[in-house]
Amino acid sequence: MNSLYVEGDSFLHRLPPGLKLLLLLAVSLALFLTRSPLFLGGAAAAGVLLYASLGIGWRQSWIRLRPILLTIAIVALATLLLESVEDGMVALLRLTTLMLVAAAVTATTPVGAFIDAVTRAALPLEKLGLVRASDIGLAVGLVIRFVPEVISRYQALRTAHQARGLKVRPTTMIVPLIIQTLKSADEIAAAIDARGIRGQKRQRKS
Amino acid sequence: MDIRFEQAGARFAGRLAVEPLTISLTERRIGIIGLNGSGKTTFARMINGLVTPSMGRVTVNGVDTVDDAEAVRSQVGFIFQNPQNQIILPILREDIALGLKSRRLPAAAVEAAVQGILGRFDIGHLAGRRAHELSGGELQLAALASVLVTEPRIVILDEPTNQLDLKNRALVEATLNGLDESVLVISHDLALIADFDRVLLFHEGRLLTDGLPSEVIARYREVATL
Repeated sequence: MNSLYVEGDSFLHRLPPGLKLLLLLAVSLALFLTRSPLFLGGAAAAGVLLYASLGIGWRQSWIRLRPILLTIAIVALATLLLESVEDGMVALLRLTTLMLVAAAVTATTPVGAFIDAVTRAALPLEKLGLVRASDIGLAVGLVIRFVPEVISRYQALRTAHQARGLKVRPTTMIVPLIIQTLKSADEIAAAIDARGIRGQKRQRKS
Repeated sequence: MDIRFEQAGARFAGRLAVEPLTISLTERRIGIIGLNGSGKTTFARMINGLVTPSMGRVTVNGVDTVDDAEAVRSQVGFIFQNPQNQIILPILREDIALGLKSRRLPAAAVEAAVQGILGRFDIGHLAGRRAHELSGGELQLAALASVLVTEPRIVILDEPTNQLDLKNRALVEATLNGLDESVLVISHDLALIADFDRVLLFHEGRLLTDGLPSEVIARYREVATL
């Protein structure tokens, strides 16, 4: 099992996870409160510097960010064609900045620390009897945990295609990828149950 | 330990995976053998409530696996056939701590317990490593540590030496022999369970034979060559 976390001792690594999540929230809100090209351009440049400061390396960064960058490019292009050039640029700068800041937070925070921070944040909801805070934390942690796993499954499937001399096509990749991911999710759910990480009441089968 | 099946069986999609059986398991080391698809894993999963009985009931130290699955799971640890699926968080230290944090223990107690279990298996050097970087034997020990840190009284291991090389197999066997907890081991590795207290042989969803390892293993060899 791989991880998005990158060990290091950068300024961002040392910040408490809860504070990083709050900053990410604040940046997200700020980005969507303005359309100023100067502000959005500056924010994108700051996002690039922040991500570069982690020392992940260009090649590794490209591998990590490529799928999201492609999605952003499609969204920005569609906005440009359907709305205006300005709207397309705004969408591109906002989403790119958001991706860089979020990726920097993910790369500097272990999944366990994410779970702890989100669990603490959800405690007031638990006191109101709405949720189990630990379940919310675990759910968020599992989403982050599964990202690299899905990517490595995709790579393994691509290698299997190549080994059999088959052309890699979305139509032959997507079904096995979904089945394998769901199967893996089932197994993780069983492990969570078996280890008593998420208590639950079961009904006797009739 | 005191595990009781009272006419308990499991049915999946209309097929009996485990035929109803009544049995009491009290020995400290029990092996479970049988051909692939014979019902071994389903039987073992019924013990910690991962599979609920379609008929009858299963109790562990007097606690019903359906009525209080949470209490049963705190007593029965389960280690899956593929330990990769057991490890929930990528970094070993985090994964071991996860089970303790869910019990809302103070941070200092969690850290002490994590250090304790890492020391017990002599895998402190692996604490910061990621699961995909570990060898098969290390992964099996990591899975064992992540389960034993919550101090279950019984541990079920599903084919713990599966796909391990000789060195890693010896490591896992030595670790198993040193466990204080009661253990149930599902295995195709007959040497691993040869000196256990009791062995159960499953065949086509049915408990075929139950007794001393030498007798049951001999019967298994007959069944396997039919």
